[in-house]
Amino acid sequence: MLRLAWANLMHRKLRTTLSVLAVGIGIALLLVSKGLANGSIAEVNQRMQSVDAQLVVLPAQENILFTNGAPFPGVFERLLARQADEHGPLATAVIPVFFAQVRMGGQQQRVFGVDPRQMSLFLGSRRVLEGRAFDQAFSMAEKTAELRRPTTQIVEAESLPPEILEAGLELIIDDRLRRVGEFDAASGTNRPYRIGDEIRIMSRGFRIVGVVETGVAGRVFAPIQTLREILNGGEPWSTMFFVKLRPDLDPVAAADRFQSVLGQQARVELKTEYGKLLHESFAQVNMYMTASSGLALVVCFLFILLTMYTMVLERTREIGILKALGMTRLSLLSLSISEALVVSSSGALIGIGLAYGARYVLNVLRPLLTVELPLSLLAVALGLAVIGGGLSALYPGYRAARLEPAVALTCE
Amino acid sequence: MTPELMIDACNLRHAYSHGAMVEPVLHGINLRIRRGEFVVIMGPSGCGKTTLLNLLGLMMLPTQADRLEIAGVDTRSLSDAARTRLRREAIGFVFQRFNLLPTISAYRNVVLPLHLRGIQPDGQAAELIRRTGLQELAHKKPAQLSMGQQQRFAIARALVGRPSLLLADEPTGNLDSANAEAVLSLLREFHRDWGQTIVMITHNEHLTVAADRVLRMCDGRIIDGA
Repeated sequence: MLRLAWANLMHRKLRTTLSVLAVGIGIALLLVSKGLANGSIAEVNQRMQSVDAQLVVLPAQENILFTNGAPFPGVFERLLARQADEHGPLATAVIPVFFAQVRMGGQQQRVFGVDPRQMSLFLGSRRVLEGRAFDQAFSMAEKTAELRRPTTQIVEAESLPPEILEAGLELIIDDRLRRVGEFDAASGTNRPYRIGDEIRIMSRGFRIVGVVETGVAGRVFAPIQTLREILNGGEPWSTMFFVKLRPDLDPVAAADRFQSVLGQQARVELKTEYGKLLHESFAQVNMYMTASSGLALVVCFLFILLTMYTMVLERTREIGILKALGMTRLSLLSLSISEALVVSSSGALIGIGLAYGARYVLNVLRPLLTVELPLSLLAVALGLAVIGGGLSALYPGYRAARLEPAVALTCE
Repeated sequence: MTPELMIDACNLRHAYSHGAMVEPVLHGINLRIRRGEFVVIMGPSGCGKTTLLNLLGLMMLPTQADRLEIAGVDTRSLSDAARTRLRREAIGFVFQRFNLLPTISAYRNVVLPLHLRGIQPDGQAAELIRRTGLQELAHKKPAQLSMGQQQRFAIARALVGRPSLLLADEPTGNLDSANAEAVLSLLREFHRDWGQTIVMITHNEHLTVAADRVLRMCDGRIIDGA
């Protein structure tokens, strides 16, 4: 049966090749879009998990993907801090983060504004590969703490003395971003970032002072005080907080306590739940991407159906011969399904190859993107191809099986 | 039906429907053919010869039949699956247009009926091909063979499963006289050696010399030889 199916497919090589390619492209589309979505989420989650904290405090909005700017005024930091000194009832550290968007490495990057004095909590076991984890920014942080004490006076935006702000124009980047670097017009290629490079972002010249191992929470870190000065007039607002709990506390109970302190404007979650939250936030986008690639796949299977149907029409006489020789309806249906399965499973394998190719190309052109192609996703793609291919062949196979041999043999 | 009868048909009628229009083709055929008999059916084009052969080969259902027994089996009440099985196991076909599958080699065509029965080809298939004298061409696709060669492979395919009934629809119709003679010789040879019942349609009077009996048809009726 398979030999006959193979012979039939090989007899119409161009059509078979086109069908296989159609399935392959559909499968590749599905794999790359899912792989890109999952890869991005997994990477962000893994980065977040690297922070030495147990809780995250997020704005009480549904979608955490678009958390930017500073939704938390300083009062939240103070409320949290009350729970958090060395002798505090709940936490040993509250870690405010201020997100900003800049363009580095040829694409948008989220800058993690962090207090230089808390940088060790973000590094964890990861090493500083070059330079230092902030340099003069430490002194800037200290001075800012002095100058920015809560006051009833109205202060002008960016009123910090320029020499203090200058000390805080520092960046730490991860090794992956360092390798990608910036396009160099003189050489026409990308030049990796180096310690001491000045990067023009937010209308300021920031210096790269350190390179850390890939896997830390952000690809780019800047002093939170600097970002607040530049973007928020020095107001101590934050985008989110990490909270490092006292080791003897139950994180779930502590999260509830924090939640009751902060009220409805914030949501306190376990850091381990962050991945789930990301998936929830990404659900609609993910659904759209899945639907788009699923639709493409359905079109591919319709292409197979059309191919198989055309083959049945073209081969009516051959089907008549097979029936005259005694091939049963079931065998004819099986023949049609076998042909479709060969096409769809070959297409799936080609699609997997194309997806790996696309991942390689993306890795070259957009090295900061992560496309995850786990075996489970490949198995799902293969399964979809097999099921879709089989279903596509049912109607043409049924048509073939129903033909009367004497009638089929009269077809030209 | 007596055991020596291969075909026993009584009042066999058939009409083709084209929408609302009905075109009667066979008008009450009565036919008995003994096992091992070589029968030739002759008649003008459109007289119903091929329709009769298709009905005898269970390739379609008659509009009406008081009796239609093939190889001792009453075929009127058979399911499609049972008719297919009987066709596969008891009947061989040789067509005017050879009808070899173009996608596979001549050898694969010959052994196809065995595969359909779930039998692995043995030396007998090779011996059959050898007797057609075309063993060196067996690996070729039908399109690479002459019409005479294709028909000889088609005969080998029809006989490879040792069917008790061989139905041949103008097997020499597309062949020149030399090839037609070769094909007829082959049929006669196998008929002599294996004793199959052969029913052959032809327009060629010369081919009737091989026959035990000649039936003549006209306007959907057997007018002579029944």
